[in-house]
Amino acid sequence: MSLLSILIFLPLLAGLLILIIPASARNSYKYVALAAVCIQVLISAYIYLNFNGDVYSGVDTEAKFQLVERVPWINLNLGAMGKLQIDYFLGIDGLSMPFLVLTSIVMLVALIASWEIKVNLKGYFALFLLLDTAVLGVFSALDFFLFYIFYELMLLPLYFLIGMWGGIRREYAAIKFFLYTLFGSVFMLLVIIGLYFSVTDPVTGNHTFNMLSMMDPKNYVDGSIFSALANAEFFGISARLIGFIVLFIAFAIKVPIVPLHTWLPDAHVEAPTPVSIILAGILLKIGGYGILRACVSIFPDAAVQSAWWLGLIGVISILYGALNALAQKDLKRMIAYSSVSHMGFVLLGIASVTAEGISGAMMQMISHGFLSSMLFFLVGVIYSRVHDRSIPNFRGLALIMPRYTAFIMIAFFASLGLPGFSAFIAEAFSLIGAFNSSSINGLLPRWMAVCGSIGIFLSACYFLWTLQRMFFGETRLMGGDKWKALLTDVNPRELTVLCILTSFALVLGIMPSLAFDKMNASVLELIRLVNLK
Amino acid sequence: MNEFASQVPSLMQSIREGIPYFLPEIVLIATFVCVIVTDLFFPGKKSVYTLGVGIAGIAVSLFFSVLQFQALSEPLRLFHGSLTIDRVAGIFKILFSGIVLVYALFIRGNTRLQDHVKGPGDLYLLLPGVLLGLNLMAMSSGLLMIYLSIEMISIVSYLMVGYVSDSPRQSEAAMKYALFGGVCSAIMLYGISLLYAFTGTLILSNPAFMNGLSEMPQAAVAIAVILVLVGIGFKLSFVPLHFWSPDVYEGAPLPVTAFLSTGPKLAGFAILLRFLDPYYAFQANGHATVFDFMPVLSLIGISSMIVGNFAAIWQDNVKRMLAYSSIGHTGLLMMAVVVHSANGVKALIFYLMMYAIMNMAAFIFAAKIEEGSGAINISDYKGLGRKFTLEMVCFVVILMSLTGLPPLAGFIGKVLIFTAAIEQYSSTSSVWLLLLLIVAAITTVVSLFYYFKIPLNAFLRSSEKMENMTPKRDFLTYIAVVLTMLLLVWGIMPGMLV
Repeated sequence: MSLLSILIFLPLLAGLLILIIPASARNSYKYVALAAVCIQVLISAYIYLNFNGDVYSGVDTEAKFQLVERVPWINLNLGAMGKLQIDYFLGIDGLSMPFLVLTSIVMLVALIASWEIKVNLKGYFALFLLLDTAVLGVFSALDFFLFYIFYELMLLPLYFLIGMWGGIRREYAAIKFFLYTLFGSVFMLLVIIGLYFSVTDPVTGNHTFNMLSMMDPKNYVDGSIFSALANAEFFGISARLIGFIVLFIAFAIKVPIVPLHTWLPDAHVEAPTPVSIILAGILLKIGGYGILRACVSIFPDAAVQSAWWLGLIGVISILYGALNALAQKDLKRMIAYSSVSHMGFVLLGIASVTAEGISGAMMQMISHGFLSSMLFFLVGVIYSRVHDRSIPNFRGLALIMPRYTAFIMIAFFASLGLPGFSAFIAEAFSLIGAFNSSSINGLLPRWMAVCGSIGIFLSACYFLWTLQRMFFGETRLMGGDKWKALLTDVNPRELTVLCILTSFALVLGIMPSLAFDKMNASVLELIRLVNLK
Repeated sequence: MNEFASQVPSLMQSIREGIPYFLPEIVLIATFVCVIVTDLFFPGKKSVYTLGVGIAGIAVSLFFSVLQFQALSEPLRLFHGSLTIDRVAGIFKILFSGIVLVYALFIRGNTRLQDHVKGPGDLYLLLPGVLLGLNLMAMSSGLLMIYLSIEMISIVSYLMVGYVSDSPRQSEAAMKYALFGGVCSAIMLYGISLLYAFTGTLILSNPAFMNGLSEMPQAAVAIAVILVLVGIGFKLSFVPLHFWSPDVYEGAPLPVTAFLSTGPKLAGFAILLRFLDPYYAFQANGHATVFDFMPVLSLIGISSMIVGNFAAIWQDNVKRMLAYSSIGHTGLLMMAVVVHSANGVKALIFYLMMYAIMNMAAFIFAAKIEEGSGAINISDYKGLGRKFTLEMVCFVVILMSLTGLPPLAGFIGKVLIFTAAIEQYSSTSSVWLLLLLIVAAITTVVSLFYYFKIPLNAFLRSSEKMENMTPKRDFLTYIAVVLTMLLLVWGIMPGMLV
């Protein structure tokens, strides 16, 4: 049993423990969960410190993955077609390791934010920990079947977390989120099975769900659906391109891209604060991670072929998200749309297929993980006090909540890309990648990078305008003196969370090498793989 | 008459040779007689002795079925080919015994049937009889035998559906079922007589059967085959022969509905496989296609998936919703029948096994919740998650499995069917298979929508009128919980089964 398995299944065990503990001891649930998540943070810190980014560059070679664990899991004899072989296959490289660390920290933050959950604690913490297991599993799985199982396993706890503890329109938001994601993933399952029949394990000769085998053109069976040589077609379009598009749509719904983003504002707004934090901080990254790990790595030829479209979708998401954020009156909705905009940079960076662009995309995902968690946490602070988060209902909060305002300013400025914070590095690298792409590989035209920078400008507009409307000027509140009494400044618990998140955003902004050094070799390896075609 | 006299010894010989392999069924016949006697003279309180004798007999028959299955290597043809015992039939027989056993306990645990003036005794009587019919259905390989076994199940089912007809609605359901069933079997009999006229034999495995058909005009064969498919389709309730099922499911007592949605449906698939076998074998031997099943079965599959899943969205009654969902599942299973490869059959059997568990458990929980709270509509489930936590959590797990979400057995079943279809597609590139796959994927998403109306009401909404509701947990609840656990275990480790 490797460290990864412990990391993945520790929350699950803690969840089962919570189910067993009788309801009379309901106050202990959150401490059990906290203990599990703290151990998880320690383990992931240990993994981070011991991860050697240069040696374990991963991507398509099993030997270059760290903490590999490979056990045969499901073996069904299918007669003529050989064996249905599914492995319990885990491992991490520079593309997945940062997300393990991110997940652990965001989960810790979300858990501390869960202190405000008051009803049905047993169900809440059990589902929370189940979700934790599923997310960590997605980031560590290297067998596509296993990956899919963890991927789908996330949906159910999220449905209930949004649906049971969410806001007024929670029913609608929960099922919308579920239907959107399932729609993408059912078709993904068909492609996964198609890939299974196209690929054989070079050692055993059996068909395999191993993602790494799927990345090597040599392993494809002659004449199979997804073999590059066979050039099979569905309705006149190359099968590999269709496969890429289906996988891309499945992950793009998670990212999300415009026009598949409409579940996101609903889900984020209706979800309780901790779940919004998890959604924005981690789940959106699963989309980006999936695109890198599955779409681009398995279908590099189709990825290059459609890079222009990917870039375009990225740019549209950046601009459309930002313009929508500008128009919002609900603070949480504004932040949700800003997520759409910021995740657009991820897509733009990936589409450029340059070292800068993909590093920038990775960095943007990590940075956005910390910053969006912080933003949603900050919204939660106000909402938990007065149950309102409409921008026009607040004015001059700086006078009554000075510490809170300081953190809002940090979060806003960091998010809009102020140098010194992680988002600046991330967005700068993505844009450099997009800009250089036309001279390096000719995939993206320069105007896309230009449009991307307009997105940064727009994000400055909506963040600063919100800051001005809500925090500056004379204190005028919708709820009058009653609200004034309720709006106390941040308490020590909230302060801890905010300090953790601020320090990560700051440290990554000043010393981005802490992340880049670990993932650089993997990014280069990925680019080599794409250029091999 | 005398010209046949010379053949009599050989006929007798074949019957004598067949009898040892017929042991599980002989046990059932004996049980049937014993149960009648017991129920007449020593019924016990609420016919509990009748139930005991019935269960004991079925268990003995199951034991012999298992022995037979283990000893089986080559397909056995009994009684001049009227019956065939192969591994598929063996698995089906074991499965049917399991279903009938759970069904018997379900009747025992259902207060509505127990408290009825008639008492449950007569219902217990029918159990060995229906199991005999199901077993024969799994084994029959002669057209006459197919007809007889289908009729045997049908007649028993008519009795069960109409057993408690308190309201006009229930009488209507029973009447509808009997009339519809009668018409369908008449049509089927007509098809069988045509086939017999074309070929001069009733035995499917007889070479004369296929040779005879291949010499007939294709249109004539098509009519005969489709007429037979109508009879089988009635049992499977695929579109367009599905009209009876929502009404009957709603009108029948819950245990009967649970049985109807599993037993006869599985048997229908067993017969369908057997009926298709000679055609595919004939084709595989390099002969011309006698009848192309692909378009017909694909169309049936596609329309069943679409009609079943979309109609289910608008249902509020739990039983009707499950009825439509089971039409949708039939469509999905038709996909495995269309594939008709070794893997297709394997996938079909695995899925049917899981489907039987899922439906049985779902109906048991629906019954338990109805008993505890009086809720028969999904909209009455509001807030029940708080009082009926165990029942509702298990129910949600079953619904997830029905949708086909990992890590549950329903997901593995779906993956196996998709795998078989994609495997077939990669060798034939048939547009029908591609369409089936796409429709199956889309309807999976649709099915999530209506299945999740149950957790939506039970957990996401709340209701005030819950004071006098208490979950009544008995052995039946725990049986259903065990079945739910099986779904989880086989979802994570399907290797244990296949």
